[in-house]
Amino acid sequence: MADAAAVAPITVLVADDNDVAQRLCRRVLEKAGYRVLIAADGLEAVEMALSQRPAMILMDVAMPGIDGIEAMLRIKAEIPNQPIVIASAHSMASDGERFLAAGADDILSKPFRLAALVAIVAKLTAKPGV
Amino acid sequence: MKSIRTRGLVRRVTPLLAIVTVIAVQAGADLKAVLVFPLYLGVVLLSALYLSRSDSLAAAVLAAIGTLAPAIVTRNASGDGAAALLLATALVVAATAVHEVVRRIREDARAAEHKASETEAREERLRITVETAQVGLALIGTAGGWQQVNESLCVILGRSRSELLNMTLADVTADHDKSAIEEALAMLRSGDILRWEAELHQVRGDGSRVPVEITVAAVSDHPSGELVMLVEETDVSSRKRVEGLRDGLVAVRHVIVSATAWDQAAPQFLSALCAYLDWDLAQYWAVDADLRALRLRYGWHRDSNSLEEFHNQSRRLSIASGEGLLGRVWQSGVPSAQEDLSVATDYDRVGAALEAGLKSAVAFPVISDGAVTGVIEMLTHEARQIENDLVTMLSTAGGEIGLFIRRAETAQALRRSETDHRAIFERSPIGIARISSEGELLEANPALLTMLEHDFQVMRSHAWPDLLRAYDQAAARTRSSPLLAGITDGASVQVRAGTGGGNWLWLQLTATSIPDPSGRPEHVLVMVEDVTVVREAQDKLGEALESQRSANATLEKLDKTKTEFLSIVSHEFRTALTGIQGFSELIRDGGLEQDEVRAYGGYIFNDADRVNRLIGDMLDLDRMESGRMSIRTVDVDINEVLSDTIARAGSSPSVEFKADLDPRLPIVVGDRDRLIQVVSNLVNNAVKYSPDGGIVTLSSRSEGDFALVSVTDTGVGIPPDEIGHVFERFRRVRSGAAQSIPGTGLGLTIVKQIVEMHGGKIWVESAVGHGSAFHFTLPLATENLTSQRRHG
Repeated sequence: MADAAAVAPITVLVADDNDVAQRLCRRVLEKAGYRVLIAADGLEAVEMALSQRPAMILMDVAMPGIDGIEAMLRIKAEIPNQPIVIASAHSMASDGERFLAAGADDILSKPFRLAALVAIVAKLTAKPGV
Repeated sequence: MKSIRTRGLVRRVTPLLAIVTVIAVQAGADLKAVLVFPLYLGVVLLSALYLSRSDSLAAAVLAAIGTLAPAIVTRNASGDGAAALLLATALVVAATAVHEVVRRIREDARAAEHKASETEAREERLRITVETAQVGLALIGTAGGWQQVNESLCVILGRSRSELLNMTLADVTADHDKSAIEEALAMLRSGDILRWEAELHQVRGDGSRVPVEITVAAVSDHPSGELVMLVEETDVSSRKRVEGLRDGLVAVRHVIVSATAWDQAAPQFLSALCAYLDWDLAQYWAVDADLRALRLRYGWHRDSNSLEEFHNQSRRLSIASGEGLLGRVWQSGVPSAQEDLSVATDYDRVGAALEAGLKSAVAFPVISDGAVTGVIEMLTHEARQIENDLVTMLSTAGGEIGLFIRRAETAQALRRSETDHRAIFERSPIGIARISSEGELLEANPALLTMLEHDFQVMRSHAWPDLLRAYDQAAARTRSSPLLAGITDGASVQVRAGTGGGNWLWLQLTATSIPDPSGRPEHVLVMVEDVTVVREAQDKLGEALESQRSANATLEKLDKTKTEFLSIVSHEFRTALTGIQGFSELIRDGGLEQDEVRAYGGYIFNDADRVNRLIGDMLDLDRMESGRMSIRTVDVDINEVLSDTIARAGSSPSVEFKADLDPRLPIVVGDRDRLIQVVSNLVNNAVKYSPDGGIVTLSSRSEGDFALVSVTDTGVGIPPDEIGHVFERFRRVRSGAAQSIPGTGLGLTIVKQIVEMHGGKIWVESAVGHGSAFHFTLPLATENLTSQRRHG
C-alpha cells in the first residue's frame, strides 16, 4: 500500500474548521500513505473538491460559511459519484440518518478510533484491481 | 092579611055547596025567599071575599037562581017574583062589588108586602157580601176600636170576632207600624184626610205577623151621627212572598254582577237572602274536599246573642255527607227543609237551634259544574211552611251562586295570574321590553331601565332603536332572522350596548312573539340580560386558554431547547474529545518523535480544558438559576478588570482592541472573579463574531449611581429577530455568517445572571453587518466603602 501510494498517492480532502481535527486527520492519513488536502470551511471544501478531484472527502458539518451538508450537496451536484464521508460530532442516530439521506456515502462519528478513520477512507478509495 | 097561596078545589066548591044546601032547605021547608036571602048574601059575600072573581060570581049567580026559583015554580010572579028578582040582582051586585073592593084591598096589601120583602133581601145580600168578601172589612170608632168586623178580617188577623171587638186597630198592628196607624187615625179624625192607605204588618192571634194592604176611610153619614171609619184590609202575604222571592233572586243576581270574588260576595248573598225572604240566619257551608265534610265558611244573622252563639257552635262542626239536613242536601243535591225543628229527628244542631229559638230551617245546594260545592242553610224564629215556590227560587239561586263561584274562581285565578305576571315584569332582574310588531317600545320594566341607565323616554326614542339595530346586525352575522321577522322565538343574540352612564355592556336579547287570537304577532316580548360578566369571564377564560397554550408552547420550546442543548453540548464535548481521543491514541501507540508527543499533549490539554470550561459553565448556570450561587462582594476597580482582559486577549491576531475608560470611575462592589468572567465572555464573543481586522472597544463611565460598561464590536451583528433572545440559554446566533461559530450557548446567559446578581442590568444594541454593543451596569460602592478603600 505504501508502495502503491508512493507510485500514485491517493488524495483525500479533509474539510474541518477545527485545527486540532485537521492536524489529527492529516497526521493519521499521511502516515497511512494518503495525500491529504485541508479545507477550513464549506466553500473552500467545494472549491478544492472541484479543482483537486480527491478520491474521497472527509467532511465536517459545523463549519463557518456553508456547512458540510450544503458543501456536500454542491459537490455532488457537480460530481455525482464523488465519495463523501460525513465526519460529525453530531452523534445522534437521527443525525446519521439525516446525513445519509442527504447523500453521504458513509458517516464517521466523532470522536473516532484512528483505525476506523483509516478503514473508512480505505474502503471509499479502494479501486477494482488496485 | 095572609095571602091565599093554595087554590084548593074544596075552597072553590064549598060556597056552591053551601048555596045548593040553602036552596034545598028553602025548597024543602018552603021558606020565603026573604027569609033565606041573608043566608045567600052571607055566602056570596064570603065567596067574594075569599074566592076569585069568577068563583064568587058563580056563587052569586047560583044564589040568585036559588032566590028566583020558588017564584018561578009557584008562578007567583006578581008579588014574590019581582021581589025575588030584586033580591037576586042584589046578590049579584053585592058579590061583584064586594069582590072588587076585596081585590083592590088585596092588591094594595100585596104591593106593600112585596116591597118589604125586597128590602129585606137586599140587606141580606149585602150582609152576605160583606161576610163572604175576600177583603177584610170592618168599622172602627174614632179611637180605633173595632165595632163591626167581617169573617175575612177575622181570618186575616187570626182572631175571633168577639176577641176583635174588644181590641183596637193599633192593638193588632206590628210595633213598628203602630205610630203610622195612630197618625193616620188622628188625621182622619181631624178631617185633614178622608182616606188613608198603607201597607203594613198586622199581628195575628198566634203572634205571627201578616203583611196587609190597609185602607181606612172616614164614614160621615152614619145614622148615629158619631164618626166611624171603614177599614179594608187585604192579606198580601202571598204577594209579598212572591215579591220577596223575586227580589231575593234579583238581589242574588245583583251581588253576582257587582262582586268579583266569592269571599267578598258571600256575606252579601247571605244577608240579601235573609232580608228579602225574611229569614233570621243564613250560613254557607263549603264542601271541604280534603276532610270530605261540610265546614261552615260564611254566615250572616240578625243582631242577636243567641244567633251568635248558634253560629259559633256551627263553626265547630264538620258534617258528613248524608248527615242531618245539610248532609242530606249535600248528598242529594236538592233543597230540603225542616219546618219544625222541635220535632226534628235528624237535624245536626237541633239543641243549639232550639236554644236560639230557631224553629224552621231550609237548606239548598250550591251547584257548580254539576257537583255540590256547598250548602246554604237559612233558619228563622218562626215556624214556617216551606212553599214550593221558595224551594224553586232557592234552587235557582243555588245554581246561580254556583256559576258565580266558578266564574269568580276563574276570574281570581286570572287576576292572580295577571298579578304574577305583573310582578315578574316589575321585579324581574332580567330586563323585559314589550314592543309593537313595528318595533316601537311599548313598555320597559324597571330592570331594563336600570340596566341601561335611561329613563323611559330616552329608552323609547334612542336606546331601544339602537338596541334593535344592534340585534339585527348581530342576527345577520349569525344568519338568524331579524327581531321583527316573526319567527325569532327562542333565538338569542348578544349585542354590545352603551348605557346612559357611559358603560358598555354585553346584552343577551331573547325575543318571543305574542300572537293575537288570530295568530298574527300582536307584540313581541324581548328579554334583555346583562351578560357582561359572563362574556368577560368567557374572554378571560379565552385569555387563560391562550396563555395556557402559550405556556404549552413555551414548554414545548423549552423541551426543544433542552434537546438542542443536549445536542449542542454533546457536539462540543465530542468535538473536544475527538482531539483528546485521537492524539492520546497516537501517543499510546508510540513511535512518535519527542516534539510530536509534546505538541499532541498540548492539543489534548487544550481540548480537555475546553471540556472543563463547558462543564463549569453548565454547573455555574445551574447554581445561579437555582439560586444556590452567592457572590462574594469586595471592592472592584472595573477599569482594572477591563484592562486585564484586553491584556490577556491581546494575543488575538485578528482583531484590534481599544479601551475608552473613565479614569474617575468610582470602584464598584462585586465579585471580582465573576465580573472578570462577564467581561471575558463579552470580549470573547466580540472577537468570535468579528471578522479579521475588526475592532473591539471596551469603555467605562459612571451613570448616576452606576458604572456603565460597554463592549462594542464591528462584527456581523445580530439579526432583529434574534436580538431579543441572545441572553437565553443555547441561543447562539445561528443565521448568516455567525452560523457555524462554536460555543456553549451558555455564556451570555451566565453573564446576564451575574450582572443581575450584582444589581445591574445588561442589554444589547446591534445592526446586522455593522456590529453589536453589549452594555451592562453595576452599582457604585457607597461613599463609606469608597472612602475606606481610598484611605485604606
